[in-house]
Amino acid sequence: MSVASLIFTILLCPLVASTLFGFSALLGKRLPRQDLISTAAILVALVCSLLLFGQILGNPALKQPGGIVDSMVIDWIAISDLEFKMGFLFDSVTGVMLIVVTLVSSLVHIFSMGYMHGDPYYPRFFAFLSLFSFSMLFLIVSDNLLGIYIGWELVGVCSYLLIGFWFEKESAADACKKAFLTTRVGDVGMFVGMMMLFAKFKTLVLYGEEGIFEAVSHLGSEDILWLSVAGCLIFCGAIGKSAQFPLHTWLPDAMEGPTPVSALIHAATMVAAGVYLTARMFPILTPGSSLFIAYIGGITAIFAATIAIVRWDIKRVLAYSTVSQLGYMMLAIGSGSYVAGLFHLTTHAFFKALLFLGSGSVIHALHVHHDDHSEHSIERDGIPPEQDMRNMGGLRRKLPITFWTMLIATLSISGVPFIFSGFWSKDAVLGSALGKAMSGGSIHYYLLFAIALIAAMITAFYMFRLIFLTFFGEPKNQEMYEHAHESPMSMAIPLIILAILSFPIVNKWSFEDLIMQPDQPHIHASTQQASALYAEAGASDHDTHIAGDHQGDIHHTAHNIAMVCSIIVATLGILLSWLLYARQPMTEDPVEKALGPFHTILWNKYYVDEFYNGVIVKRITLGLSNIFGWIDFRIVDGIVNVVAFINREIIAGIVGLFDMIVIDGIVVTVVGKGIRAIGVQIRRIQTGTVQNYLAVVLSGIIILVLLFLSLPRWIP
Amino acid sequence: MLLTWMIFIPLIGMILVLLIPRGQDNTARWITFAVTLIPLLIAVSLFINYDRGTAGIQQEFSVPWIESFGINYHVGLDGLSVTLILLTALLGPICIGASWKIEKGVKAYMALFLLLETGMIGFFCALDLFLFYVFFELTLLPMYFLIGIWGGPRREYAAIKFFLYTLFGSVLMLVAMIAVYLKSGDPGVRTFDIPELVKLAKTSGHALADPAFQKWAFLGFFIGFAVKVPIFPFHTWLPDAHVEAPTAISVILAAVLLKMGTYGLIRINVDMFPAGINYWSNGLAILAVINIIYGSFCALWQTDFKKLVAYSSIGHMGFVILGIAALNKPGITGAILQMFNHGVISGMLFLLVGVVYDRAHHRDIKGFGGLGAKMPIYMGITTLAFMASLGLPGLSGFVGEALSLLGAYYGSFDHSRLLTILSTIGIVIGAAYFLLTLQRVFLGPLNPKYEDIEEISPREIATLIPLGILTIILGVWPHFAIDMFDQNVDAIVKAVDATSKAVGILP
Repeated sequence: MSVASLIFTILLCPLVASTLFGFSALLGKRLPRQDLISTAAILVALVCSLLLFGQILGNPALKQPGGIVDSMVIDWIAISDLEFKMGFLFDSVTGVMLIVVTLVSSLVHIFSMGYMHGDPYYPRFFAFLSLFSFSMLFLIVSDNLLGIYIGWELVGVCSYLLIGFWFEKESAADACKKAFLTTRVGDVGMFVGMMMLFAKFKTLVLYGEEGIFEAVSHLGSEDILWLSVAGCLIFCGAIGKSAQFPLHTWLPDAMEGPTPVSALIHAATMVAAGVYLTARMFPILTPGSSLFIAYIGGITAIFAATIAIVRWDIKRVLAYSTVSQLGYMMLAIGSGSYVAGLFHLTTHAFFKALLFLGSGSVIHALHVHHDDHSEHSIERDGIPPEQDMRNMGGLRRKLPITFWTMLIATLSISGVPFIFSGFWSKDAVLGSALGKAMSGGSIHYYLLFAIALIAAMITAFYMFRLIFLTFFGEPKNQEMYEHAHESPMSMAIPLIILAILSFPIVNKWSFEDLIMQPDQPHIHASTQQASALYAEAGASDHDTHIAGDHQGDIHHTAHNIAMVCSIIVATLGILLSWLLYARQPMTEDPVEKALGPFHTILWNKYYVDEFYNGVIVKRITLGLSNIFGWIDFRIVDGIVNVVAFINREIIAGIVGLFDMIVIDGIVVTVVGKGIRAIGVQIRRIQTGTVQNYLAVVLSGIIILVLLFLSLPRWIP
Repeated sequence: MLLTWMIFIPLIGMILVLLIPRGQDNTARWITFAVTLIPLLIAVSLFINYDRGTAGIQQEFSVPWIESFGINYHVGLDGLSVTLILLTALLGPICIGASWKIEKGVKAYMALFLLLETGMIGFFCALDLFLFYVFFELTLLPMYFLIGIWGGPRREYAAIKFFLYTLFGSVLMLVAMIAVYLKSGDPGVRTFDIPELVKLAKTSGHALADPAFQKWAFLGFFIGFAVKVPIFPFHTWLPDAHVEAPTAISVILAAVLLKMGTYGLIRINVDMFPAGINYWSNGLAILAVINIIYGSFCALWQTDFKKLVAYSSIGHMGFVILGIAALNKPGITGAILQMFNHGVISGMLFLLVGVVYDRAHHRDIKGFGGLGAKMPIYMGITTLAFMASLGLPGLSGFVGEALSLLGAYYGSFDHSRLLTILSTIGIVIGAAYFLLTLQRVFLGPLNPKYEDIEEISPREIATLIPLGILTIILGVWPHFAIDMFDQNVDAIVKAVDATSKAVGILP
């Protein structure tokens, strides 16, 4: 099958599965087994993605960024000479993303058949999952920014629907609204960026002769600032969607959704869409916007990691971990390493999906039905008892499959050397930051490298804290422990598959071979202002080749240093975690004592939520709406009412004035009489005498119509 | 002739309805429903048979009416009007369906509704300025009575407010109209014919083409239309009228009557006064941005479901004005598309408010809660309509809004970038008030008061489905509408460009 028809099939299957549900719901009937329909659809998409991937391996042209445009291109909107074309873009990045999305989505579908079993809205859940899969896949295969934006917003709304899936819960209702609005703030930035690009290039297509990337390479040096701003604005969309600082607050709250949703959308795929977008826009990223991206990524990585240390809710730990890891990916792209960013995206998708599904398995095992809540499972700090790590402990004996698979994922995310994929991808990220610094990039990249290293240590620490608290030690809640049971096969199998994928099946070198890095804009070279931003170690045109070799050496050295450092920090983190959480029976959180007041800050997530709620939402937004509302009600409408009062008193006068203006007499006959009739009506209404109302109204209308119809004969 | 039939069939239907003997309410309902189907069929056939390749006027029909003043009964269609006629005709049967439960004075209600439909369709067909004005006023009367008699508790206040506001605007419009007539030529050759006037206004040297004249004539028409759109600060009739009007009348008000304002702006202000619009486009853009931001923030403040939707209309009509002010292809295309889409979406929104009002007998958003558990289909359709209204891609609201903004970003007015970026605040606030409403009405624990609330009925679903389908079709395949008026927009933009160069208002 051709590339276009395969992509078409991939998109169509989940779309049909979700549409079927919509129609059947509208007709008041339920299709039997929506779960099977949706799962079958995504499995077909998975098979097609694998076939497409086979084509990449056999065709070197597809490994080039931009790939081939052997695809169906349609004029979605064509306004005379302006066109918005919709087409498919297929290259190795698309291929890898398709596999990641369809694979994780398939496993999550299968897992959900067990996890969601018995839910009153079970079919609806699968319909939403299908709709999400369609939107995400649409985003990936679009060859233009408008298409990406469409998919982007659609995944946002699916995320909204799925976070709020258990909508009777107040917290879920709050969380889904927050997620949608927070990401929308970023999306508006992205939209403004798109407007900038469109106003300049009159197109939103990325690759190809008339695409943005081609046009950018012809820009003059005076446009560098403009391009940097455009790049940063587009990146705003990614800040929202990938929960980067300062728009990260929605993602931890999104954990109110069912756990399979957290695994699929809020860990493996949708949040990675921001990274995908940033990578796709790589060819327009100037040194300035790259540094901005790297900083946002670096700050997010350490910021979220520190918050994760003190969480008790197993899902929140993983949520902050996700935010932090997404920061790593952004850091890699900001450091000029597109491949490292996408590589970490891929490995992270598998091990983080595994961690979430594993936590889902734990929650499923501990879940006590609401009607037999006992005093042993009281909510503390608003955390549901089955998610609270203070109720866990010793579960490795009860849940062996969950334990072993989650352990593998934890080893991978912590960066335990050589046999886990996370080690390689994290090393690629760290190496790219250090390499950028050493090869003459901005001095800032040394700082970013250091930040990333510390964050890596914290990652190893809190991940093992999670493992120790959950699976080791003595059970802290005997009743819940006894109730716990290993999950059914439909849930265990996806865990095992994902655990296998956490080993380096695709290692860094084959990944680098698979994906080729596109060029970034060269408009910097000629201006001083730009070279200050982007000092590429004086590599002028004639010695590029020599410099290239030299840079290769530097990058090699950087990676070796990064590797050693990352092994050291990972070991330190794990050791510290073992010392604090694995050895003694825990009475209180050792970290709480050690950190002192800083613990309170971390516990309150640096008060970002308080700031947003208290200042941005309450003071500014609601304050403005109060002011506008008041102005509208009191002032604008107040003036109107005063004027109306005067008018009411002299309405006959107005009608008279009207007569004077329309001296011709034509309009008087047509409209004036009507108005006079209405004047009478108005006075009647005003005085409250509305008897015989209908008769007056109707006769008025009939007179008017007759006047209107007979008018031509009256006037000579 | 087809157009004339379409305009006057509702009027014939009105007489028919009035002849029905007392007490036969159901007959009146069915007859009205059947009558409104005829314009719909004609509109669909006009839409299908419309020649999309030309900017010319089609289905033209003209007979002398008042010859001594050069007034003709002149009707015809271009891409813009045929799109809006389809919208109007489609809403006819839908609104009758939504009015099925009206028990008070059914015959009179139906008769007035049919009169209103004649006025609306006639307005969009009229190509003679005088006829245009007559139809414009003709919609006012039935609307006044429909709000004033069948409305809510404060119906008299709302009806008078609506009436006075529009009267104020139309007086100024009348003055401008007469001025245009007097300037159109020497006595004896003066004309009210719109295509003729448009041609004259673009003939350099003609009195109508004088930029100084256009500037002021523009203003007269503008205020008349601004009240209808409504543009800040002429908007305060809208929330009151909407809140008091019965459901179907709110639908017509939002979906069609507001479009009469923007239709007039394009048909007269842009097309007939190219120099005028060039001069005023800065002001127009600023008003548009105020409409968007002000309307959105006011909507966020509301707790009355219907008032919230009404203010959201003010915000969304701001995008239409912004697109018009841009005076380029994406801008005006986006504006027209947004007109049609807003008609469809706001129609849905008011129908949906009506559904819950009929059951709960109040519209206080904070007084619901958790209805999603009892009314899943209703929640689903409402979510669709809200998402369309807040501009979710894939649904129709997005396309118009996005094109208007894209056009405005490099539009002809000053500070176009800054103003456009400011107006994107409206997108965020729009999402905020809709999601807040969704949460307060449907999500969270079920309010025990509504333990037994009924799910949306098949009749109500039937009124919503055509609009819902249109929302999806236009979101996925906007060509369905854009093709209709693409040539017209092209012609308008070219004419405006040419004039701005000729009179040297723009650099």
